[in-house]
Amino acid sequence: MRFWQPRSLRCCLAAFVLLLCGLPAWAQSQSTQTNGAQAAPAPATISLDTPLKVSGPSPDDLTAGDPSGTKTGSANDVVASDPKKGVTLTDLVNQVGQNRIGINFTWTLVCGFLVMFMQAGFAIVETGLCRAKNANHTMMMNFMVYGFGLFAYWVCGFAIQMGSAAGTAMLGGASPLNGEFAIHLLGHDWGLIGTRGFFLGGATYDVGVMVLFLFQMVFMDTALTIVTGSVAERWKYAAFCVSSIVLGAFTYPLFAHWAWGGGWLAKLGANFGLGAGYADFAGSGVVHSVGAMTALAGALIIGPRIGKYNRDGSANAIPGHDIVIVLTGCFILAFGWFGFNPGSTLGASGALRISTVAVDTMLAGCTGSFGAVLYMWIKYGKPDASMSGNGLLAGLVAITAPSGYVNTRDACIIGIIAGLLVCLSVEFVDRVLRIDDPVGAISVHGACGLFGVVSVGLFADGTNTVKGLFYGDPGQLVAQLIGVVTLLGVIFPITYGVNLLIDIIIGQRVSAEDELEGLDIPEMGALCYPEFVLKHQPVPSGAAAAD
Amino acid sequence: MKLAGILLAVAGWLIPMVGLTVTSSNAARLTLCLLGIAVALFGILGVLNKAHQKHAIWKV
Repeated sequence: MRFWQPRSLRCCLAAFVLLLCGLPAWAQSQSTQTNGAQAAPAPATISLDTPLKVSGPSPDDLTAGDPSGTKTGSANDVVASDPKKGVTLTDLVNQVGQNRIGINFTWTLVCGFLVMFMQAGFAIVETGLCRAKNANHTMMMNFMVYGFGLFAYWVCGFAIQMGSAAGTAMLGGASPLNGEFAIHLLGHDWGLIGTRGFFLGGATYDVGVMVLFLFQMVFMDTALTIVTGSVAERWKYAAFCVSSIVLGAFTYPLFAHWAWGGGWLAKLGANFGLGAGYADFAGSGVVHSVGAMTALAGALIIGPRIGKYNRDGSANAIPGHDIVIVLTGCFILAFGWFGFNPGSTLGASGALRISTVAVDTMLAGCTGSFGAVLYMWIKYGKPDASMSGNGLLAGLVAITAPSGYVNTRDACIIGIIAGLLVCLSVEFVDRVLRIDDPVGAISVHGACGLFGVVSVGLFADGTNTVKGLFYGDPGQLVAQLIGVVTLLGVIFPITYGVNLLIDIIIGQRVSAEDELEGLDIPEMGALCYPEFVLKHQPVPSGAAAAD
Repeated sequence: MKLAGILLAVAGWLIPMVGLTVTSSNAARLTLCLLGIAVALFGILGVLNKAHQKHAIWKV
């Protein structure tokens, strides 16, 4: 009876628990001793060419169908280099490598297709922000810029930009792209242009090079289509054709080579100890700012539309004709941006940061439109629709460069700053500088593009090779600022000179009569909306002098 | 005036480029970069734009 007293019971339970806990440890130690006592087995030697004894489902199994998806995709689908011998380890390893590159090809191509669709977004945004009498002309510029740009880029643009891009591991190496013209100055090599890949001929007739070409081409075309917005409603079509070809063939590829093709900007880190060198993940500088530099040059040379400014310099608002297609175009662009930024990893296998890039892109676009709506609502009492669209685009443009290097909190901050910046910039360009930009392209792509470049130097958190000022590396900010000043001090003068030459030879601006009538009939030969009755617009004083 | 604007823009680029080779201090390079950007912007938006505005269509 004394054994069952509570005190004794507790002692027994405690002993039992200790035994239970100790038993596995004792067993493990015994097992270790036993294993240690045995001699380590000799590693099995497996020849890479030994056929593997694996088999998938039988043909009969597959004939019955596979509703659950557990039989499709098996050892049967690994291709043997010698069918008589069967699948070897070499075959298996090659298959793994090809699968990796195949995944990256597919990812990059699909993202490139998304970016190509952005052309439609730009086309309808710009057309909607212009007047109905110029809709055909504006659409036709956006439509044909794709073809002109593509052709020019195939002829020489790609070679200048990516002619020395060998070593693009995500796409299998792109080894034929191995030529660069560089000058040796101040103890360093300064890569200026690539020299392989003209007409995609010779050794560049290569599957990896083709993927790179397609993806880079649609980026280049995005830069070209920025220009058509800022000089819309007064740009002579012939001048547009020549200007677009030069931009796609030379000006854009030049800066793109410096930044992305292994040129001197990309090597600022290695040569001068400036962080990781100029970093522009998806092109706030390379794509958007280069396009905006040309847009600014064109707007300066061509001048404002008739009726935009009064004699005292005050500005008149010239509203667009269809806000529905403007905002639809903004949605198309936001969708296409999922190809633009996450696609810039050039692969999905081994680049799982694509998820962060995509989320950063969404957030910055969203907070960009917040910023613009707040600004307009507070200042003017209404959330302006076109500025909301521009705010979305401003956030997306600004996050393009840092999207691969920043966390989601910083992406939100970048977006909201861009949303406010675009409103301030539109007002500054319109009222202080008196530069007529019908769609706000200089502000969206120029001001916010340059801000995006700088934001890499501030917000990059170091989780993906690049670390900005706020995370401890001021050198990265210096590299980014050198990129900004190169855009202003080299790319702008080049593109201004080219467009000034076109103005002298062809003439950039349409006649005042054509401008007042609308460019659809004089330049394109057909109205966009033939069943509409267009309101007569009186000729302002001074119009005759425009010709 | 147009040429002066373009030359100022190029000069803005040259300032940090020279700075890269004469100093390894990040603070000095940063200052020169900001100075270069200011000069280039002044050349484009101040001088060049003013030259184009001189005969602007709305002034005639």
